[in-house]
Amino acid sequence: MKLAAAALLMSVALWGLAAVVALPLSDWPLPWADPLSLRPQQILLAYGQLPRAVVALLAGALLGLSGALMQAVLRNPLADPTTLGVSSGAQLALVAATILWPASLDLGRGAVALVGAGTAACLVMALGARRGFAPVTVTIAGMLVGMLAAAIATALTLSQGYYLLSLVIWNGGALTQEGWSGGLHLGLALIPALLLAGALARPLVVLSLGGAGAAALGARVGLIRLAAMALAVVLSAVVSAEVGLVGFVGLAAPAIVRRLGARTVGQVLMSAPLAGAVVLSLCDSALMAVAALGGPDLPTGALTGLIGGPLLIALLPKLRAIVPPGAEAGDTAPRRAPSPWRRVGVLAVLTIAAAVVTLVAGRGPGGWTVIRGDLAATFLPLRATAILAAAAAGALLATSGAVLQRLTANPMAAPEVLGVTGGASLGYAAVIFLVPEPGPVMLALGCAGGGALSLGLLSVHAMRADLAPARLLLAGLAIGALATAVLAAIMASADPRAWSLLGWMAGSAARATPGSAMLLGVLALVALAASLVAARWLEILPLGPEIARGLGLPVARIRLVLILGAGLATGAASVLVGPVSFVGLMAPHIARSLGLLRAAPFLVASWLTGAALMIAAAFGARTLSYPYDLPLGLFATLIGAPWLFATLLRGRRR
Amino acid sequence: MTGVLTRRAFVGCGALALWSGGACRAFAQPQARLAAIDWGMYETAVAIGVTPVAVAERIRLAQVSAVRVPGSVADLGLRGAPNLEALSLVAPDLVLSSNFYGFITPQLERIAPVYARDLFVAGEAPLPKTLVALETLAAQLGMADAGRTRRAGIEAELDALARRAASLGDRAICLLAIGDARHVQMFGADSLYGGVLTRLGLSNGWSEGTRFAFTAPVPLARLADFPDARIVVCGAVPVAVRHALAGSVLWNSLPAVRAGRVHFLPDENPFGGAPSALRLARHVVAALEAA
Repeated sequence: MKLAAAALLMSVALWGLAAVVALPLSDWPLPWADPLSLRPQQILLAYGQLPRAVVALLAGALLGLSGALMQAVLRNPLADPTTLGVSSGAQLALVAATILWPASLDLGRGAVALVGAGTAACLVMALGARRGFAPVTVTIAGMLVGMLAAAIATALTLSQGYYLLSLVIWNGGALTQEGWSGGLHLGLALIPALLLAGALARPLVVLSLGGAGAAALGARVGLIRLAAMALAVVLSAVVSAEVGLVGFVGLAAPAIVRRLGARTVGQVLMSAPLAGAVVLSLCDSALMAVAALGGPDLPTGALTGLIGGPLLIALLPKLRAIVPPGAEAGDTAPRRAPSPWRRVGVLAVLTIAAAVVTLVAGRGPGGWTVIRGDLAATFLPLRATAILAAAAAGALLATSGAVLQRLTANPMAAPEVLGVTGGASLGYAAVIFLVPEPGPVMLALGCAGGGALSLGLLSVHAMRADLAPARLLLAGLAIGALATAVLAAIMASADPRAWSLLGWMAGSAARATPGSAMLLGVLALVALAASLVAARWLEILPLGPEIARGLGLPVARIRLVLILGAGLATGAASVLVGPVSFVGLMAPHIARSLGLLRAAPFLVASWLTGAALMIAAAFGARTLSYPYDLPLGLFATLIGAPWLFATLLRGRRR
Repeated sequence: MTGVLTRRAFVGCGALALWSGGACRAFAQPQARLAAIDWGMYETAVAIGVTPVAVAERIRLAQVSAVRVPGSVADLGLRGAPNLEALSLVAPDLVLSSNFYGFITPQLERIAPVYARDLFVAGEAPLPKTLVALETLAAQLGMADAGRTRRAGIEAELDALARRAASLGDRAICLLAIGDARHVQMFGADSLYGGVLTRLGLSNGWSEGTRFAFTAPVPLARLADFPDARIVVCGAVPVAVRHALAGSVLWNSLPAVRAGRVHFLPDENPFGGAPSALRLARHVVAALEAA
């Protein structure tokens, strides 16, 4: 309690500093003063800064309550509107409404946000239900839903081709106010929410015994879960509609109150809103004070995003639950193929066929066509370049994913999931902002360096637990969240370099020049050769570090080499085609489902599958909305995410 | 093929006759086929009498441009990622681009020579550059006379507008676009629209930096720093934002709003060329005269 009071005091002091810099205390208006009689600076205080402070407190309280409810229902200390994808769902709905149906926003931003948040929550819960709401699986599903929603939202923003100010501000979660309506809306939501949460506290205590135990005591488990979850989703949608994407407050608040000694569900539910209010208020006041003293004016959501990643990592050791055996799709080993190399051969033929078909087929102003003879001379080199770039990038990502999956013995490991792509994005952004007029080589180095660095940091952290799959995955997702937050802050800065960053994030195979495509192709071949050289290691490593050491492998050094290699391969691929998602995860999965379990055929098949997937994605991106090229990353995500959900859904119940 | 040539010659002839009043030289020297990635360069080309055969993001441009975008102009896709196949289909002689799209120049050069001008550079006024571009592009196309004539015409009209504005420039003007109900983008001195105010001899209320974006998104409350200024809102205001503003105490308390010194203009092409600048200049002067 003392800590909370101290933090609140600090927040008030910072806010006061910002307010006094703008307007001396002696000039502050009296609460009952008529707005028409006030000077502009006084109105600013009364209708700008003051409501902003209140909104920060209320939004923080709502998010804290929402997170506490989610954590109580799912019995998962990692649940919160951000990690469950609910916030991103609301964001996507608002972005889509702004672009496709602006009039709907006039009906109420809250309703639009609720549709998105509800859809995302339903999707994640459907996945979670299949896995008995295993914390890690639910969190991973939620963050995947979040990634998908964010990818579609980015693509929609980009497909507008012009700068959408309100979206960009919104992405960052700005608490700026111009009246008391925002505070009023949030306050009206908070009071009934607290009462409902109070009513739900006792049933949730019963639920904390576990579903079966609670049912035995006569609790209507399904109904309690549904009510609490619905309340949490509504609260998060209300906040999203009012102030935008403010991440991780719902994660932090319950964690803080638990650390401060809240034991029962009721205590957590009632004190988490307070902690959330203090946390968000402190963040916002600090940013206001920085801006008032002449610093940059950053959106508050960007700051909470920054603390979210490290927080997730800090919370990981408290996570008792691990991935339950068999909870992930790849654990059900498919039957080994009788003649693996023949399958690899068929795969190679299919990949080449895909390349040839997409080389000659396309879409023009007149519709779908096979290439005309007189245009072949101009079109074929263009298409060949794009196809080579896409295929090579896919192969590199797939190799990286295959190596990581073998290395960690974890079928969910992939460059995207492990935050390597996020690291590569940060590297690209760093080069854009630090180097004046960077060339392609610098950008490639930045991307590859960022990728390798984030993977390296990740393994340093996770190595202590001998790369336990759950820790690794969540730490990776945390890095991804951190990257997303930084990128959102950059977008909100409205710098033209942010425009080129957005363009890169959209990714396009057409951006490759013959030289760079060729280089990427060579790199892909090198990666294949290198991974085959390492095939023996990759055969042994999944058996566990003890066995590997017993067989005389220098495990630590091998891990370092493989991790660096995977990071570099991912970085090299992303510099050309943008941070493409899911190919690195999907391709090895498909290879395994073909029964290719030995390392060498598995690696070659992953390589081929990655290339084929990207060829298909590049073709779709090029033709679907001709002449407007869709982002390659979006298309890969659109193919990959539903497939991944289907895989997760199939799962154990058969 | 003859049909295409005839039409092209016909269009070129008409355009030249319009702008330079000269003889129909297009038959002797067929007009260049231009493809524009940059909207500012598209308007520049149209201004000197050469309508490009293709432009990027044609749909949106047709909504906001100060010049006509005929139905015959092909769409090249996104400005940041133009469709190279669509570009090669129109077989351009020259691709008009700008420093904005510098990162795709290598790809464009695979199809046709690229003519790029740095119209928008952080901290530098774009309007003089767009006016110069009229002449340089015309010279590049071998029609320097048309460029000189057109620039002289536009400068003359801007001068006339500036004379009319001289008696109206009693207050600074905050030129802005409204993003959402809580943020606005200010057009600073290094924006095309900001340059129009300078050219008209009006003073721009926003003298701070523009964070390289030519427009700085700032909280609505910052407008309170300019109690004496006029507010000129460029472009359409979304319905939801309009309703939110109507009920906003802060907005309604702004001195300019209280005193009715807010003007709404339809201009929505801040990255256009000289025609867009000229259109804004006309609108601003007309709005001030009506006030």
